[in-house]
Amino acid sequence: MREILLKGTNICKTFPKNGGETQILQSVNVEIYQGDFAIIMGASGAGKSTLLYALSGMDSITDGEITYKDQKISSFSEKQMAALRAKEFGFVFQQTHLVSNLTLFENVAVAGYVSKTASPKEIQERASRLLRQMHAEKAAGRLPSQVSGGEAQRAAIARAMIGNPGLLFADEPTGALNKTNSEEVLNLLSDLNRNGQSILMVTHDAKAAIRGNRILYLEDGQLLDELTLPIFQESEARQREETVTAWLSSLRW
Amino acid sequence: MGNKAIFKANSKRHRGALIGIFILVFLACAALGTVLTVWINSGRYVHGELMRAGFGSLTAWISGLTDARPLANEVKNLPEVSSVEIQNLIFSNYAVDGQESDSEGQLILYHSEESRYRFFTDDLHGYQEQPAAISSGEIYVSPSLVSMMGLTLGDEIRFPIARSGRDKVFTVTGFYEDPFMGSSMIGMKSFLIGEDDYREICQIIQTSGIDALAREGAMLHIFAADPDAMTSSELNQLINENTSLSSYAEFIHSEDAIAGFMLILQNAFAAMLMAFVAALLFVVVIVLGHSISSGIEADYGNMGMLKTVGFTGGQLRGIWLVQYLTGILGGMAAGLAAVIPLSRLTSNATLTTTGIYIPADLPIGWCLLAFGILLGLLMGFIRLKTRPIRDIAPMKAIRGDIGAAGKTKVSRTPIWGNHLQLGIALRQLTMGKRRYSGACMVAVLLVFIASMIGRMDSWLESDGKGMMDAFNPADHDIGVQVFGELPMEEVEDAIRSYTDITDDYLLVMQGVAVNGMDYTANVITEPERFHILEGQTCLEDDEIVLTEFVAANLGIQIGDSVTVTGDSGSTEYIVSGIYSCANDMGDNVGMSREGYLKIGQDAPQLWCHHYFLEDEAQKAAITMALENAYGGDIHIHENTWPGLFGIISAMQALIVFLYVMVAVFILVVTVLTGSKLLAAEQRDLGIYKALGFTNRQLMTSFAMRFGIIALLGSAMGSVLSAVLTDPIVSAAMKLAGISNFASEPSVGSILLPVITVILLFTSFAFLTAGRLKNIDVTILISE
Repeated sequence: MREILLKGTNICKTFPKNGGETQILQSVNVEIYQGDFAIIMGASGAGKSTLLYALSGMDSITDGEITYKDQKISSFSEKQMAALRAKEFGFVFQQTHLVSNLTLFENVAVAGYVSKTASPKEIQERASRLLRQMHAEKAAGRLPSQVSGGEAQRAAIARAMIGNPGLLFADEPTGALNKTNSEEVLNLLSDLNRNGQSILMVTHDAKAAIRGNRILYLEDGQLLDELTLPIFQESEARQREETVTAWLSSLRW
Repeated sequence: MGNKAIFKANSKRHRGALIGIFILVFLACAALGTVLTVWINSGRYVHGELMRAGFGSLTAWISGLTDARPLANEVKNLPEVSSVEIQNLIFSNYAVDGQESDSEGQLILYHSEESRYRFFTDDLHGYQEQPAAISSGEIYVSPSLVSMMGLTLGDEIRFPIARSGRDKVFTVTGFYEDPFMGSSMIGMKSFLIGEDDYREICQIIQTSGIDALAREGAMLHIFAADPDAMTSSELNQLINENTSLSSYAEFIHSEDAIAGFMLILQNAFAAMLMAFVAALLFVVVIVLGHSISSGIEADYGNMGMLKTVGFTGGQLRGIWLVQYLTGILGGMAAGLAAVIPLSRLTSNATLTTTGIYIPADLPIGWCLLAFGILLGLLMGFIRLKTRPIRDIAPMKAIRGDIGAAGKTKVSRTPIWGNHLQLGIALRQLTMGKRRYSGACMVAVLLVFIASMIGRMDSWLESDGKGMMDAFNPADHDIGVQVFGELPMEEVEDAIRSYTDITDDYLLVMQGVAVNGMDYTANVITEPERFHILEGQTCLEDDEIVLTEFVAANLGIQIGDSVTVTGDSGSTEYIVSGIYSCANDMGDNVGMSREGYLKIGQDAPQLWCHHYFLEDEAQKAAITMALENAYGGDIHIHENTWPGLFGIISAMQALIVFLYVMVAVFILVVTVLTGSKLLAAEQRDLGIYKALGFTNRQLMTSFAMRFGIIALLGSAMGSVLSAVLTDPIVSAAMKLAGISNFASEPSVGSILLPVITVILLFTSFAFLTAGRLKNIDVTILISE
């Protein structure tokens, strides 16, 4: 029996629209296990990112409950949520979202400093190591506006990993990248997962989705289906892609 | 139609900035209009009242004559004089509740048919009908005695008319406006009394002989036949040369001189406030510039879009001009509307110091001229600052390329793990210098002005010592003048029973004519005690020292000779030096006792004995003991002057007003700048939140930026103040005859404006940053 890391129960999310309300998530139940590389897929507007940010506590929910390691995080205070983001969660956004006036190295280190999981010196050493692992060490001293999208996104992953997070959230991390850079980023995520890192990723790209061991399909704010796969191996990529594509076709993707 | 729609949309979008500009312009214009109104109206009013009340081109205060009419006729017979009017009076010392006056009072017989004076209501908030007569025992006084001696209606004033306790006691019945000597800056004070009392006092003086303490005298108001034909100094010189006036004159003042005395306070404070208003207007310009620049940056894409649909750069600049003019014109109109009540308030608040009720009527022409110039300058500035709109290339703007990307250099300010918020604050500052330059300039200006006023306050000291040192020809702790046969040894023994006398000298102020012009001579037994600015003091009996104002008036330099005429002769003296003494607005000279006795008569009771005490704290006790022991036979004064309290309280009020304005300006500037920064940094702030920063951490870091900027600006403002205060204030002080201004501020007075400005910027920034609680990490979500 695998340990449940994150659990969402009857998650509802509505947004005000034209004087009324639009329901984006409708009683979504989801469990993410330790070591998972879980993928949320769905058509545009299905509520993928909304679900991701609701589960990560980045956005409030209208109804339901979210627990992380058996703690009810959906009722956390602003201070508790900040501590949770600093120490337990890591985020990778579609638009890298690096702080514009910090270098790549500083972007990574600042996230470590705020997590206070180690001394400043250790954080700096860890930041350097992570940037090396992410093949971004050459751009470490540059500002986000002075590096390529791939370098920026690799630095963003390093930043997300600096606090040794319990769970890494990734929202379309390859959405703004070219093919080569996308492949590099996905490889990095797969490596992290193989080393035990739990990941929850949103994507609409089947080639990215094959990296996961679980694919959750969302349609009109409801979880419609789930596909379970073995841990990703590069040699099985083609076969996994066919499997995923066939599954998605069955869901009229 | 399109322009109107864009104007409406822009006004809505930049509502916060326009409100901020409105508030700043309102405050600056209300202050400007009030200062102009008070300054112009008080000047006009004093000159108008001097003319209406019949001051004349010159007024001579005379004594020693039982009937002034022959002397008046002698003066009137000069072809250069058209008429001479006589106002009889009685010179007498006076005391209120045991507090002796520093200068003699002048009891004037009230003539209701003259309509010379205007009477105030009891609450001092306006005028009332003049009384038909003043009854026996009643007295009307100048409201400046309220600030000088704490006088209120119903109080008693005691005038020692003759020895053996022949005092005359009056009850204060009302207040009147004395345009000749009503200001608290003028030591001599007039009192209106009824005919019965006046006759009784004259009789006492005449029957008391040498025991009389009060003296009969008169004011001779001398009107020039053609005021434009010669200056009042030339007229004075002419009268002295051709009549016997100088033998009887205690002092002579021209209309300009007396108006100068009456207006010292208003002019000095108007000058200080005008400097402050100028700083506020600079702040308005800085904030306006910052608002336009950041507004253009924020609307760059929109303006590119508008250009693609046919709007020209000129049209867009026009819209921006009109948009800012709504805030500016609104602020000016509201400021103008506030001027009348503010001026009325100022008039009420200053009545007991200035002695006159300054009219609050708006000097429309001056205000419109000042506001018009200001509007023109601001419009020109807006046109200048909106020039970049002209150069916006549509597609470049739509792409979001505002020409800054890629040019930013990486700052070397470190990000410390242990001081993360400070590191981030420093980085934001160094990477966005331009955005903070406005706030920094504001801090420089506000600290400069606050520090300058603080330095002046320091110079003044809480007991007005700085001012007294400026007015006194020589320092002392206590001065004692005895009348009659009272032996000084007895007085000194009485003083020594409280504390030792460490040093002493004698001083007397006598009227003399220098090269035919009347001045007060400070005659001293130890000339080395004069405050010499240049050259040497008058140690020899053929030497004299002048103030720089007298030297300039007479066109005399050190080494030149002057002819000095006293009450017993005339001789030449060599000017040995320039000294400082602001008495009579600097119209005085200094002589040694030996030098003066060559032209003047001596009498023991003339001299005032100035003492230095071992324990200065005993001054008040000694004064009270001597007054109780010797009453009217002795006059004691400390190194102070009742008018100082008015100045000190006015200075304190000015400082409070200044700090309130500083706080309001910093609030508006911080809110405006902070809001723009928060809007521009929403994404970065969202990222920080996503990384685990709390709102408080981010608010603290945000406030730190303003604290650092305020620290830098305050340091620069303090340096500027240290460098510029003395030359600027000295130049202003010279208008009032004070030439010894040199600020020696305490650490507290240097730090107060710095700390205040830093704290205000930091706390207002922290409060403004409260808005970032509304910035949610969902800003990073792209569905």
